[in-house]
Amino acid sequence: MTIQILLTILLVGVAALVALQRTTSRLVQFAVIVVIAVGTYFVWAPEQATAVAEAVGVGRGADLLFYLWVIITLALIMFMYLKIQRLSRRLTQLTRAVALAHPQSPADKEENS
Amino acid sequence: MKGPSSSGSVRRCMSESGPIAAGTNAWVVMPAFEEAQVIRRTVAAVRARFPHVVVVDDGSQDDTAGEALAAGAVVVRHSLNLGQGAALQTGIQFALARGAEFVATFDADGQHSVEDLVVMLQALQRERLDIVLGSRFAGRAEGLSLARRVLLKAAVLFTNLTTGVRLTDAHNGLRVMTAGAARRIELRQDQMAHASELVAQIGRLGLRFKEVPVTITYSPYSVQKGQRLSNGFRILTDLLAGWLQR
Repeated sequence: MTIQILLTILLVGVAALVALQRTTSRLVQFAVIVVIAVGTYFVWAPEQATAVAEAVGVGRGADLLFYLWVIITLALIMFMYLKIQRLSRRLTQLTRAVALAHPQSPADKEENS
Repeated sequence: MKGPSSSGSVRRCMSESGPIAAGTNAWVVMPAFEEAQVIRRTVAAVRARFPHVVVVDDGSQDDTAGEALAAGAVVVRHSLNLGQGAALQTGIQFALARGAEFVATFDADGQHSVEDLVVMLQALQRERLDIVLGSRFAGRAEGLSLARRVLLKAAVLFTNLTTGVRLTDAHNGLRVMTAGAARRIELRQDQMAHASELVAQIGRLGLRFKEVPVTITYSPYSVQKGQRLSNGFRILTDLLAGWLQR
């Protein structure tokens, strides 16, 4: 009982945070809130989660969640990795452009703008 | 893992000196990260034969830029430390923008010999090649420790296997290429994996290349600044990441 209350508070908190984000697209907000709502439902009805798990060939609801969580996490890590690569690529281009725009020659010791 | 500096002396210039063929517009690109101790000497030695030197200061905190300027090099500065590959690419672009006909790369720590570069440039012109690479294994490597030799040989084997271009030394910082080749090569590996990347591009672009034996002088300074065994692993993961994105 205690864990269910705790989880519900946390999930509702996350849902509130997502709902208040103004930079996130409506579609993403909606999807996240649906996922949270489903999650909350399963918190209070774990036997339903187990039923779903059994339907797809997994023993327990908690195990199914665990497998899904691993897959989603790996996908997120990959996504973020590629994003970081793109960012560092742009950072390189920016740094290079700045460098090439301001060469220093022995003749002009002072900065030329 | 320190190389015995049996002959720490810098190889002296041969009899014929002075600027190389006044008509050829060759630029020497020198990437440098915190090389204030040695860069002035290296730039001065290069400029005795090649007047156009561009030092790419890769975000050094010390006075690398000031020392390079004092020795007569043009300096472009990365405001952040990006890595040697990024510095080389910046320098190559700068040289091309200045109308270079030939672009050379030269390590700032003084491990290369300017005379070797002269020979390489002559080979490039005489044999109508696209790029000439220095090889320490075809030539002599002074003060090279066994561990470093094994590491470098493993790197050569790896590069040969993955790029299909057969070389004896894939990771030598001394190279010279034509402007045409420099324009087609694009180093996207910011850190040390650029050396393997360059070899792969030589293969892919079908550039005419040749290795020329060169002497590398491993001073205690260059060994301390150089690559460690652990970096080999880093280079492998960088290359893997590069392939993933193609």
